[in-house]
Amino acid sequence: MSSDHHAHNPGFISKYVFSVDHKVIGVQYTITSLLFLFFGFTLMMIMRWQLAYPGESIPLVGGWLGQYLVDNNGVLLPEGYNALGAMHGTIMVFLGVVPLAVGGFGNYVMPLQIGAPDMAFPKLNMASYWVYFLGGVTMLSSFFVPGGAANSGWTAYPPLSDIANTVGTHPFWNGQTIWLLAMVLLITSSLLGSVNFIVTIVHLRVKGLTMFRLPFFVWAQFVTSFLLLLAFPPLEAAGVLQLMDRVFDTSFFIPSGLVVSGVVQDQYSGGGSPLLWQHLFWFLAHPEVYVLILPAIGIVGEIIANNTRRPLWGYKTLVYSVIFLGFMSFVVWAHHMFLTGMGTKMSTFFQTTTMIISIPSVVILTAMLLSLWQASIRFTVPMLFALSFLPMFAIGGLTGLPLGLSAADIQLHDTYYVIGHFHYVVAPGTIMALLGGIYFWFPKVTGRKMSTMLGHLHFWPSFIFMNTIFFPMFMVGLAGVSRRLWDQTEYVQGVDVQSWVRMSSWGAWGLGLAQLPFIINFFYSAFAGKKVGANPWNATTLEWAAPSPPPHGNFAEVPVAYRGPYEYSVPDAKEDFHPQHVPDSQVV
Amino acid sequence: MIASSFWLPPDISTHGSTIDLIIEYVHWFMAALFVVWGAYFLYCLVRFREGANPQATYRDTKAKPSKVAEVVVIIVEAILLVGFSIPVWAYYRSEPPGADKNPLVVRVVAQQFAWNIHYPGPDGKFGKSKPELVDESLNPIGLVDGEEDANAADDYVSVNIFHMPKDRDVLVRLSSKDVIHSFAVPLLRVKQDAIPGMEIPIWFKAEKTNEDAQEIMKRSFDLPASPEGDDAETFVKENRLRVTMAKYGSIETGSTISMEDLKTLSDANVTSIEMAPGYPVNIQCAQLCGLGHYRMKGQMKIYEPADYEEWVSTRDDDEFFDEDEFDDE
Repeated sequence: MSSDHHAHNPGFISKYVFSVDHKVIGVQYTITSLLFLFFGFTLMMIMRWQLAYPGESIPLVGGWLGQYLVDNNGVLLPEGYNALGAMHGTIMVFLGVVPLAVGGFGNYVMPLQIGAPDMAFPKLNMASYWVYFLGGVTMLSSFFVPGGAANSGWTAYPPLSDIANTVGTHPFWNGQTIWLLAMVLLITSSLLGSVNFIVTIVHLRVKGLTMFRLPFFVWAQFVTSFLLLLAFPPLEAAGVLQLMDRVFDTSFFIPSGLVVSGVVQDQYSGGGSPLLWQHLFWFLAHPEVYVLILPAIGIVGEIIANNTRRPLWGYKTLVYSVIFLGFMSFVVWAHHMFLTGMGTKMSTFFQTTTMIISIPSVVILTAMLLSLWQASIRFTVPMLFALSFLPMFAIGGLTGLPLGLSAADIQLHDTYYVIGHFHYVVAPGTIMALLGGIYFWFPKVTGRKMSTMLGHLHFWPSFIFMNTIFFPMFMVGLAGVSRRLWDQTEYVQGVDVQSWVRMSSWGAWGLGLAQLPFIINFFYSAFAGKKVGANPWNATTLEWAAPSPPPHGNFAEVPVAYRGPYEYSVPDAKEDFHPQHVPDSQVV
Repeated sequence: MIASSFWLPPDISTHGSTIDLIIEYVHWFMAALFVVWGAYFLYCLVRFREGANPQATYRDTKAKPSKVAEVVVIIVEAILLVGFSIPVWAYYRSEPPGADKNPLVVRVVAQQFAWNIHYPGPDGKFGKSKPELVDESLNPIGLVDGEEDANAADDYVSVNIFHMPKDRDVLVRLSSKDVIHSFAVPLLRVKQDAIPGMEIPIWFKAEKTNEDAQEIMKRSFDLPASPEGDDAETFVKENRLRVTMAKYGSIETGSTISMEDLKTLSDANVTSIEMAPGYPVNIQCAQLCGLGHYRMKGQMKIYEPADYEEWVSTRDDDEFFDEDEFDDE
């Protein structure tokens, strides 16, 4: 390590605000994205009131939501409902989960796990965070412009999104246009980050750390970065095209002969294709699903290996599965579009690839489960979160099967079944894993451990409420209730399932309350938690070789990797763990 | 196992049972996998907890059962795919009923927030329509007049009510005049996006009429203990889309229950009544299409073939749908 890393003594602003240190940037990403996650979830807690009690005034907050969201009595407006829905989806995916999983965990943990002093391009890293931050602020600002925030769904299908928020609003500063601008910024941020991750993993591994000695989490981040790098540009282009349609009346996504509210849309020349957007969007958004899942699977792998005290089962199988998943995720996108008029040949191709992609997911889950066999399981708080990921991710994955079979999709498409399915993957699955990751690496970041009691108070209610929210959605969807309805009791099927809908709503509010112990734990433990040493979990990977918290430059001396990442319970050894950086002479 | 065990609405179409079968099989498969995984998972958590097994085993577990499980998953998925989903889709999407089957051909033009059902009339030919002729209240699809195009003279447009006979193939040419909508009829197992600039054909055949569907969907409802107060008001509100399936004193079959009716029923000592949805076969929009997406609903009126012919011969003017009637009848 070069000595100038240690000589470097920056002021407050460049140390904590415009920092180029991957750890500070990781923490910035983590805190910003956690705030966005909670904000995006709050939007949904408001929507769940309207679903549970249609047409009734929203308690507590109804009075100050403003004219674009509620009427004079504090009842959520249909357009307000659509705006909250679009912003919930956008914020949770692009401002919450991805920045937390990749920007937060990836930035902080990955360089430490490969023994690097920092990312390959520290300034690019800083730029990535600040472009993300700007994108987030831009997105939030749209709540305050005339007409309110974007209300055409997080998928922003044209022509609806092309013509939305245009009447009685500013030609430029309106919800959907700001949404597009913010998306362009967020995508740019992800692109900057992904290049950095790939170069760092390829070039900055310490001596002895071959690709097949990398922790599974690093592999997950590596594949994720390729997905971001290759899948995001089409959406960036599509976003710019939609911006052109909105601002300059081009017709990329506008067909001929459009009549909206009795008015012929002759400002457009027409001839465009609404389906082109869907192809570009889903070409990003399906790999995006794996961008959400893979880092979470990586985290779960780390926590399981550490808390079962035995090597992760089938490490190479896991790595190959993740790579295969990455490839396959680029050829399944049109299973989101079975009902756009697709013929048999196309649907056969996409449902076949969709069934194929389920295989590596099954293999990954099986490997995680096999790791429990003949283990010595410690039920630490991070382990509880990691274990809960397994059955809930399984529910999310399995319920993808009927949606991936195009014939069954005829009945289930665009119903609450879909909402239940992808939330099981992303919320009870990914978010639970990410929370587990916070408990796991918190001691590394702060040098202090989070409270176990508060951790239990956080985990158990969250686990129960996650299922209370999402499981009823399968029944609601099977009953034939479409998604995105402001008031599902307009239909008799919706009336019949109203008790399930209320159960989901109460679950959501319960889940909100269940985050209080976490928030208290997070701040209390950061300042007053029990102090710990470099390796409080008796773990093996390289981040635990650095002091807690690691100084600028990370390692006191450059570590060397002598073995694979999960050498737990090696027979005839002094301890039940062999850290990667400790030479053989000292462990046997 | 019958499909209703999976909370699906009743199926009144000829093709729907194949879709329900796939949904049913795949759910049994999912349940079996989940139970096996879950049982193994819980066993491990108990058997291999630190207290019961303080020393973990280093070497890899021999995983023959898991390989078997993976192969089973692959085989079952292949069967579902090749044996069920692909053929059903091929039938549903690739073989429109030909002229030999004498299908009823109808255009459906979706718009914010209504369904325009365009019948070609006795000549069987659709008249042209032009965007600039669209008038939201008088001519929602911009149909030209009979002088400009003779085919248009006998055309008939119904808004939000789709009249059709049972036991006859119906071929719908689906489009939209503004944004993307989705034509969803859960009881007919039909769903298809309506996309502006495209005319997408779909086809289906009903096995049952509206009355048959009501028979299937009728249920007994206990009346609230008191005909006044919150419970009674909730009862009336929750059942505003249902009608009585029998005559109860002065209340006729097919009535929606009002607060006044509750009083009448209470006086006559009636404690429960049978009701079914007033419009059992509803059309929903399944694709977000703007602020009125939730109320973009239509209804199918499925007749006995003879009754359908009678409707055709008695209809005279373009029919416009009165939403109040839909809610209250």
